[in-house]
Amino acid sequence: MSAVQIAGRIAGVDAGAPIRQSSLWQDAWRRYVRNRGAVAAGAVFLVILAWCLVAPLVSPHDPNEVDFTNAYQGPSWSHPFGTDQFGRDLFTRAALGGRISIGIGFGATLAILGIGVVYGSVSGFVGGKLDNGLMRFLDALYGLPYLPFAILALAIIGTVNFWTMVVALSIASWFITARVVRGQIITLKENDYVRAAKAVGVRWYAVLGRHLLPNTLGVLVITIFLELPGVILGEAFLSFLGLGINPPDASWGSMAQDGRDAYRAHPHIIIIPSLAIATLVLCANFIADGLRDALDPRTKET
Amino acid sequence: MAAYIIRRLVWTVPVVLLVIFMTFMLMKQIEGNPFRKSERAVPAAVQMNLERKFSLDRPWYVQYANYVKGVATGDLGPSLVLRDRTVNDVVAEQFPRSIELGLLAFGWAVLLGVPAGVLAALKPNSRFDYGAMLFSNVGFALPNFLVATLLIYFVSVKWGLLPTSGWTTWQHKILPSFTLGLVPMAYFARLVRGTMLETLQQDYVRTARAKGLRRRRIVTVHVLRNSLIPVVTAAAPLLGYIITGSFIVENIFAVPGIGRYYVTAVSARDYSVVMGLTVLLSIIVIVANLVVDILYTVLDPRTREART
Amino acid sequence: MRLRIPVLLAAAAVVAVAMVAAGCGGGGEQERAGSGGQKAASQVLKMAWGAEPPSLDPGLATDTTSSNVLLNMMDPLVRLGPDLQPVPALAESWDVDGKVVTFHLRDDGRWTNGDPVTAHDFEYSWKRTLDPKLAADYAYQLYGIVGAEAYNNAKPAQAAALRDKVGVKALDDRTLRVTLTSAQPWFVQQAAHHSFLAVHEPTVERYGAKWTEPQNIVTNGPFKLAGWKHDASITLVKNADWRNADRVALDRVEGRIIVDGTTRVQAFEAGEVDALDGGGLPPADMPRLKQLPEYEKYPALGTYYYGFNLKNIPDLNQRRAMAFAIDRQSIIDNVAQADQIPATGMVPKGMPGFETIQQDFLPSRADLDRAKQFMARVDDPKRKITLFYNDSPGHKEIAVAVQAMWKELGIDATIKAQEFAQYLEFLGPPPNDAVYVYRLGWIADYGDPMNFLELWTSKSGNNNSRFADPAYDRLIEQARNTPNDEQRYEIYRQAEAMLTGPHGRLPIAPIYWYTYTNLERESVQDTFEINPLDQFDLSKVVLKET
Repeated sequence: MSAVQIAGRIAGVDAGAPIRQSSLWQDAWRRYVRNRGAVAAGAVFLVILAWCLVAPLVSPHDPNEVDFTNAYQGPSWSHPFGTDQFGRDLFTRAALGGRISIGIGFGATLAILGIGVVYGSVSGFVGGKLDNGLMRFLDALYGLPYLPFAILALAIIGTVNFWTMVVALSIASWFITARVVRGQIITLKENDYVRAAKAVGVRWYAVLGRHLLPNTLGVLVITIFLELPGVILGEAFLSFLGLGINPPDASWGSMAQDGRDAYRAHPHIIIIPSLAIATLVLCANFIADGLRDALDPRTKET
Repeated sequence: MAAYIIRRLVWTVPVVLLVIFMTFMLMKQIEGNPFRKSERAVPAAVQMNLERKFSLDRPWYVQYANYVKGVATGDLGPSLVLRDRTVNDVVAEQFPRSIELGLLAFGWAVLLGVPAGVLAALKPNSRFDYGAMLFSNVGFALPNFLVATLLIYFVSVKWGLLPTSGWTTWQHKILPSFTLGLVPMAYFARLVRGTMLETLQQDYVRTARAKGLRRRRIVTVHVLRNSLIPVVTAAAPLLGYIITGSFIVENIFAVPGIGRYYVTAVSARDYSVVMGLTVLLSIIVIVANLVVDILYTVLDPRTREART
Repeated sequence: MRLRIPVLLAAAAVVAVAMVAAGCGGGGEQERAGSGGQKAASQVLKMAWGAEPPSLDPGLATDTTSSNVLLNMMDPLVRLGPDLQPVPALAESWDVDGKVVTFHLRDDGRWTNGDPVTAHDFEYSWKRTLDPKLAADYAYQLYGIVGAEAYNNAKPAQAAALRDKVGVKALDDRTLRVTLTSAQPWFVQQAAHHSFLAVHEPTVERYGAKWTEPQNIVTNGPFKLAGWKHDASITLVKNADWRNADRVALDRVEGRIIVDGTTRVQAFEAGEVDALDGGGLPPADMPRLKQLPEYEKYPALGTYYYGFNLKNIPDLNQRRAMAFAIDRQSIIDNVAQADQIPATGMVPKGMPGFETIQQDFLPSRADLDRAKQFMARVDDPKRKITLFYNDSPGHKEIAVAVQAMWKELGIDATIKAQEFAQYLEFLGPPPNDAVYVYRLGWIADYGDPMNFLELWTSKSGNNNSRFADPAYDRLIEQARNTPNDEQRYEIYRQAEAMLTGPHGRLPIAPIYWYTYTNLERESVQDTFEINPLDQFDLSKVVLKET
């Protein structure tokens, strides 16, 4: 999933010129707020985040308390999302599940960025034979499905928790990010100010750290929101295949899996977490679009 | 051109070897006994016989060497769990079904996604455009297990229009392939719309229009052709998606393909099947990338220099 | 192509509407048909199998699905009657003389290629299963036979010599003599297990591992394997030449392989299959399914239990407190939901000798008062414990419920899931030190309490609790050599009391005794029966008009 989306949409950014640093972020902000879809998506995204953070704190229900007399209730005033088979309040649990899903999402995305930035900047910065080798390797693996490797990784680690999920989801998902970073670095490397810096004897790590990496920041921010949907859906897929994290914790994916068996009698248990996933993914996509248009106006669609 | 192709081909070999090696080492790290399938303990004698039979008592580098030799000669070894079958048997019988599922999903995407994108681009900001793009966004975002569950409930269980699961007649194949095709469909619609809009702005299109060529002709001859190049190149990354999605879809719709068996094989510690399928999937992706890159170079000469 | 566009939008609308509608939609009601008695004209049963059989070779099969397919294609020496006692099948009679069992075979057993079924086929098959080169997982099912374990354990050089020492011999075509290591009063009924079926030697030798494919296979039972699309379907057809063929009603059994529980239920409710194979219904959907007229349940011989790692919870009072705090009935009613029976001990209800052995040692309902009293007597209570389970469906929910029940005792249990294969390694024996409590289940191989009680001997590979008591081991050994049923049951009673009785050591806290639940169309409901060992006999099924 992530591969697909990024492959298409990053194309413009990939070849793009470096993003100017000066008032870049102010300009970008101005352009972003003009995009109504992106602003709305950002707002919904923040609302979801706030709900995940705050709801469990203020909720009158203990998310893990088992009370069979309350099981399988549909949505009501005291339980806006209903209850599950243990009588646990799904409004609170979905918020907690959101923390885990979003947390794993950001965790894995950052891991992907980390690996991608190292790989891409080494490749792009050093260049030559090394670059050629690293890139041929990426060419071959481009589009490799992450799921088999994620399943293998989870099987190796054995117990599934937050961090193993992050590892599993990032282990085979960083190829595209690496390629994008490399593209940026190579383009930037040819810039006059970088050449100048080199000419006056600035050390390579200073060039890389002070001039090149900061200028890829815009692209990286876009990449976060491009990767996020794929990672969140990936976590949901793994949970759905029964490889989710340990109870009583739950992510949206594992909550949806819990709900599938009972979907005929109690559809809310699968629908609520699934819609939460869908909403979040939708928002992330819109935000990514908005960010791309804002940070890299040349590729703006008509 | 030829040099480029040869260079790419040569690079494929070490990458394949590396993937085999990585998968092999990963598998070795997984704890668990493939011969203990239930609570029942396996007596030592039985365990020993099984390890001897499947050469698991040999050092790992011997096993690896034998395995690479096997892959080179097209023999993926025996299954440790499906005792009547070899991995080649599993692949030969079940892989075509997964390919069929993938192709049908791709078919849905081309059939519905491309026209939707074209029409949306021809009338940008129209209601149709908004509708198609909304659908595209929703298609991306809805987890396919929800889509599958809802489709089965309404179409099969409630209305009785199509079978709930299985993979025998064409009726059985509609729902699984549609579910799996949803994301590629959404993707194509968006991709084609984007490239179409871009192409419509190009100088040569304006020139053609200025010369008084009919709009329909411009669209079909110039714009559409150029806009479809990205669709070709998107096939490779989509393959990765389709493989991933098939894991879920095959599970829910009881499609007897390899995606479903993969998950079972990992938990059953059927090392040879997991190895075989992982290596096979990787080789397919690698070859697909190769083909697409070559196709792309042929279709769009401008990229030749850029890709060293 | 343009015509397709509305389809696309319609599909979008469907999804959108579906999301709303499913929110309020209820379950589909099944019409209740009157029970008809007329035999239907078409005798084709459509059913769903719960798994792809990993092997249809009696020597190599280990799972329930393979076992059931096999037992319907093959003629065992004996089958199990309603009370689990052996009844004649291919063997018309047998004599038991201490450690020697002699089976007398019928003369009308036929392989599907016309060859007669002889005692030599059995001798060949059992020795083949024990052959170290075949490396059969279930070779140990035959370890009760003299020389069997030694042969199975043989190095390649000695194998041939040890093969001849295995205590199974065809005296003539119709007489099979088996010599056992001890009296083993359950041996004859054990012979109903699929590991004791015969295979057709020329076919096996000719096709090797591929002999079970439909185009090669030769069988000798009521049905023939007509088709086997791997992971997709298994088709059986009536074997018209079988010795009892005129009593078999079904002409054809079209089986689909559907692994996922929810998918299986959907296929049934959409009318695509007439019966499931008892492979378990999704627990979360049980309250709804139990209302359907097609719902059926059968008693099973199996125990679902929590085991204690005695190293980490050494205090007997704490174990007893934890065992008493579990509300078994509530777990069954609210979580497992399949009409299981609260387990008051290890040996399950329905087992021969159960009335002697079981004294209702553990409470069905939580007995919190006594549990707290026991807990108060613990010197050094372990309040932070870890409960492990494997991540297959259903176990998580029970763990969550038990976790909440133990909280009442002030015990804070962290629950951890592991994948099955890894889990089994983790449990040892001996179990990993991280384990305080683990969940496992045991389904009987044969109908004698030995099969459950021998698990807790100190050398047992299935004793993951670190419970080791020489007195217990001696009791089990004594039972092995006690052919008289009543005397043996009395020994079992003592053994059970040492596990779960008022003065027992409580290495385990049994939770429930299994039931098999199933969905069966009313046309087959009367004749489709699952026995306590999870076997069903399709030769008895008759499709009726409804």
